[in-house]
Amino acid sequence: MVDTGVKTDIRSAMWKPGGWQSLLTFIILALAWIVGFSSRLFAVIRFESIIHEFDPWFNYRSTHYMVVNGFYNFLNWFDDRAWYPLGRIVGGTVYPGLMLTSGTIHWFLSILNIPVHIRDICVFLAPIFSGLTALSVFLFTREIWNSGAGLFAACFIAIVPGYISRSVAGSYDNEGIAIFALMFTYFLWIKSVKTGSLFWSMLTAASYFYMVSAWGGYVFIINLIPLHVFTLLIMGRYSRRIYIAYSTFYIVGLLMSMQVPFVGFNPITTSEHMASAGVFALINAYAILKYVQSFLTKAEFRYFFFLAATGAAGVIFLTVVGLTWAGIIHPWSGRFYSLWDTGYAKIHIPIIASVSEHQPTTWVSFFFDLHILICAFPVGVWYCIKHVNDERVFVVLYAIFASYFAGVMVRLMLTLTPIVCVLAAIAFSKTFEAYLKDETPKSSTKESGDSLENKNDKLYDKVGKTKKVKEEKPKDQEGVGMNIKSVIVIALLMILMLFAVHCTWVTSSAYSSPSIVLASYNQDGSRTILDDFREAYYWLRQNTHEKARVMSWWDYGYQIAGMGNRTTLVDNNTWNNSHIALVGKAMSSNETSAYKIMRMLDVDYVLVIFGGVIGYSGDDINKFLWMVRIAEGEHPKEIRESDYFTPQGEFRVDSAGSQTLLNCLMYKLSYFRFGELQLDLRSPAGFDRTRGVEIGNKNFKLTHLEEAYTTEHWLVRIYRVLDLENRIQLTSPNKPIPKSKRKSHRRTGKKKIGHIKNKPKVVKGKKSKSKVK
Amino acid sequence: MATYSNMMLCTAFIMLLSLCFVSSVQKKKDDTLGEKVQQLMDWNNKKSIIRLNSETFRQYVRTVPRNYSVVVMLTALQQQRQCSVCRQANDEYTILANSWRYSQLYSNRLFFAMVDYDEGPDVFSHLKINTAPVFMHFPEKGKPKKGDTMDINRVGFAAEQIARWVGERTDIQIRVFRPPNYSGTLALALLFSMIGGLLYLKRNNLEFIYNKTFWGMGALAVIFAMTSGQMWNHIRGPPLMHKNPHTGQIHYIHGSSQGQFVAETYIVMLLNGAVVGGFVMLNEACSIKSDSGKKRVLSLVGLAFVAFFFSLLLSIFRSKYQGYPYSFLFK
Repeated sequence: MVDTGVKTDIRSAMWKPGGWQSLLTFIILALAWIVGFSSRLFAVIRFESIIHEFDPWFNYRSTHYMVVNGFYNFLNWFDDRAWYPLGRIVGGTVYPGLMLTSGTIHWFLSILNIPVHIRDICVFLAPIFSGLTALSVFLFTREIWNSGAGLFAACFIAIVPGYISRSVAGSYDNEGIAIFALMFTYFLWIKSVKTGSLFWSMLTAASYFYMVSAWGGYVFIINLIPLHVFTLLIMGRYSRRIYIAYSTFYIVGLLMSMQVPFVGFNPITTSEHMASAGVFALINAYAILKYVQSFLTKAEFRYFFFLAATGAAGVIFLTVVGLTWAGIIHPWSGRFYSLWDTGYAKIHIPIIASVSEHQPTTWVSFFFDLHILICAFPVGVWYCIKHVNDERVFVVLYAIFASYFAGVMVRLMLTLTPIVCVLAAIAFSKTFEAYLKDETPKSSTKESGDSLENKNDKLYDKVGKTKKVKEEKPKDQEGVGMNIKSVIVIALLMILMLFAVHCTWVTSSAYSSPSIVLASYNQDGSRTILDDFREAYYWLRQNTHEKARVMSWWDYGYQIAGMGNRTTLVDNNTWNNSHIALVGKAMSSNETSAYKIMRMLDVDYVLVIFGGVIGYSGDDINKFLWMVRIAEGEHPKEIRESDYFTPQGEFRVDSAGSQTLLNCLMYKLSYFRFGELQLDLRSPAGFDRTRGVEIGNKNFKLTHLEEAYTTEHWLVRIYRVLDLENRIQLTSPNKPIPKSKRKSHRRTGKKKIGHIKNKPKVVKGKKSKSKVK
Repeated sequence: MATYSNMMLCTAFIMLLSLCFVSSVQKKKDDTLGEKVQQLMDWNNKKSIIRLNSETFRQYVRTVPRNYSVVVMLTALQQQRQCSVCRQANDEYTILANSWRYSQLYSNRLFFAMVDYDEGPDVFSHLKINTAPVFMHFPEKGKPKKGDTMDINRVGFAAEQIARWVGERTDIQIRVFRPPNYSGTLALALLFSMIGGLLYLKRNNLEFIYNKTFWGMGALAVIFAMTSGQMWNHIRGPPLMHKNPHTGQIHYIHGSSQGQFVAETYIVMLLNGAVVGGFVMLNEACSIKSDSGKKRVLSLVGLAFVAFFFSLLLSIFRSKYQGYPYSFLFK
């Protein structure tokens, strides 16, 4: 867009537009990086530099382990602190890219003698990578459309909430670096399709390797790229460039991806990867056909083509079916299957359905995360189709499939966000290009270049400049006219400004809570920090035996291991459903049968989250039905979900609630001694603020557990599991054993106490018969 | 002596008689049970779900000598009852009954029956049921207990769920065999054959395959459907709209950001489409070959579309998302 009308303009030539353009590009990208980095720092500024939520704690713990013990020890790490008594082979069940990245940065900095704690690197890794993401989105969009659109896209991705949600400071998770890897791989792919050079496709494969080592979402790449190739084949856009790009990428990428221990032989044995193999076979077959075609007559070729096509299709189909049947190729895994058959997870895998980010997406969350972009990006799709070429086919496919996946699962909004930014940037850039351009060749290129800068700052400058243009050209007969043009530009800029404001508001209000430190606001606006989680975990760390085993629901497993440094039974790596179901069963049984399970699992402490005092809604009672459901899935005889409902089918904890619920372990541990607590004068004692009811079972005692610790706001409650009681309870040891004891020893038949046969019977007042004789 | 023997004979006779009588009573009881089972089996051979009315319901389900369990669906299938749920439940129930009828384990221990409200209203009144559909299990012995009424509000009435519940109540595990749903395949085949036919008919003029507008429309349709939450509708099945029972006011927009109505998603889809249309008009205004007046009108209309429909969308969002502070053009 900047190149337009440059040649004729002598002044512009004197200004060396190329230089200006690079400088502007550089400045805008740097600004986007800074803005993206700073807007992710809300949590750090409000609270402190800590790791957020659940999974990041595991990532942090493994990174720490790797930094301390070295990479090879990390790969061989068997974690006996998790999944007691099974343990977990961490090295083989984790995507190590994240840990390696921050480990490398730490190593590099320590070589430069910059002492930084690994925690700070972990906290700030995602914001730093957001800048790299912006850069790779810029490169990608430049390949697809032009650099103006690229700058728009970089600015959009820097601040869009759909991406910020997974990359705020402290959210140290795979997605933080994976989106960068994703977009960079796609950029390299587009580049290699355009050039057909081996160099770019090798780079694509290397970047793909990084992505595989970082996130399970690499499956999206290995299906989308083959789909792109396949579509190009169908459209008759086959060329040698595509052949080189895909064959190189597929083979090298395949070999490299198999080097990641967690992935291993999956790329050649699971159905998720079969599409890429199929397309590889297809493109080779097509290339052979093309080759054969060059020295056959038309009739011969037609015959040959028919024979080869049917033969190849039959062989491939039979091979896949045969291998699947023989069990060499695994069918789709549950998580992927549930993407296509949307009802599948709910029926078969409750543990997947129980996770809130696996729910379908409402239009509200689309709008919340993407704002104007969600309305504007179809325009980009439209123009990409209208002006189609090889790489735009890719963008369109990406947009369609990503929007489908985002519709099925909230979590996959993350993969949709980059392409929405790209396409919306194309839409805006095209519109601005049309309306900022002067009709006469005398127009200055600076204006149009400047317009890209508006995104995050200098919005007011923009208005002034367009006005200037308007004054210069008041009479315009050819086109739309300057007045209308400036009105349109100003209106669009206002919408974009609104978008920037929206993004900041969303980031600040919705996505910047660390969730292990809670904040509540009083009526006067002052803030109270609820630090109960860390209080409890620190208590565990200081006051329990080093080998103590803590039972809790799986959500808190990583945090207990990370912050409390104690052994857990289940954690957020939900690989063993039956183990989780056992914990769920213990939580939903009554105390006596739960005690049996806890003895069996060597539990020393039980930890529950209870929000009834402060009105925290994410506590264990609210999650309880999932525990019951998961337990019911494995133990349908003992646990029945219907027992926990009232006859009317309600789940309630007040006196009308079901007796099974009021006596189960989770209820008792949550509400132990809560009946004595009166929170304020208006409500009765034992009033649960989260559920807004007075609890039903107030005065009960625990027989097999005792309260060990309860945090300040009762948010976390820890109980100690008592040892078995002694068999005989001697109330006062000095007393002789009471006579009734003997009775219990009475035996029957021959085993009676010995007695003399024919013992003379003595009747009082009578002489014995023998004496008479 | 004679009298004695006479008496003996008499007693013997009486005893014999009584024995005979007792056995005949026993036999009659057996007979009725056998007959009942036979009758049920006969019906079952004809249809996998036995239709009962008040009379037969009392005779076969409620009277005591039974050595079989009966699962009864109480429903209202008549057209004028307008119970669409009942029809869906009936379909699922039929699948289950058929799976049982043609399974390996099929025996006379379990029967599937149904009572339609219009054929046996007193069954409903006797069981104190005033909703439909209701699934009840009548065990071999004793009266139905609490768990013998299936909680369809909680578990739904998918055939698998009913089978699970039946398995819990009777210890007979039925493997549900769904007849493969050919309608989807058939529709797909029809679609493909139509496309094929169309292609064949127009084989001399295949330009439209290269028509970008056609493909663009298709892509946009998919994207609009997804971004307006149609997949959510598909999975969660919300109502079309909500009618307030007290005021009779109709709400098209769900009040919370956690939910949505079907009508609402259509509105959002239209708004999205209108904004996109506005953008396209803005762009086309500059590229069409026409006089400047027409260009101006087109670009202004495009801008109006973008601004107006976007702010409309924003205000709908604002009404759903409590505490959202921003708006554009109007609240």
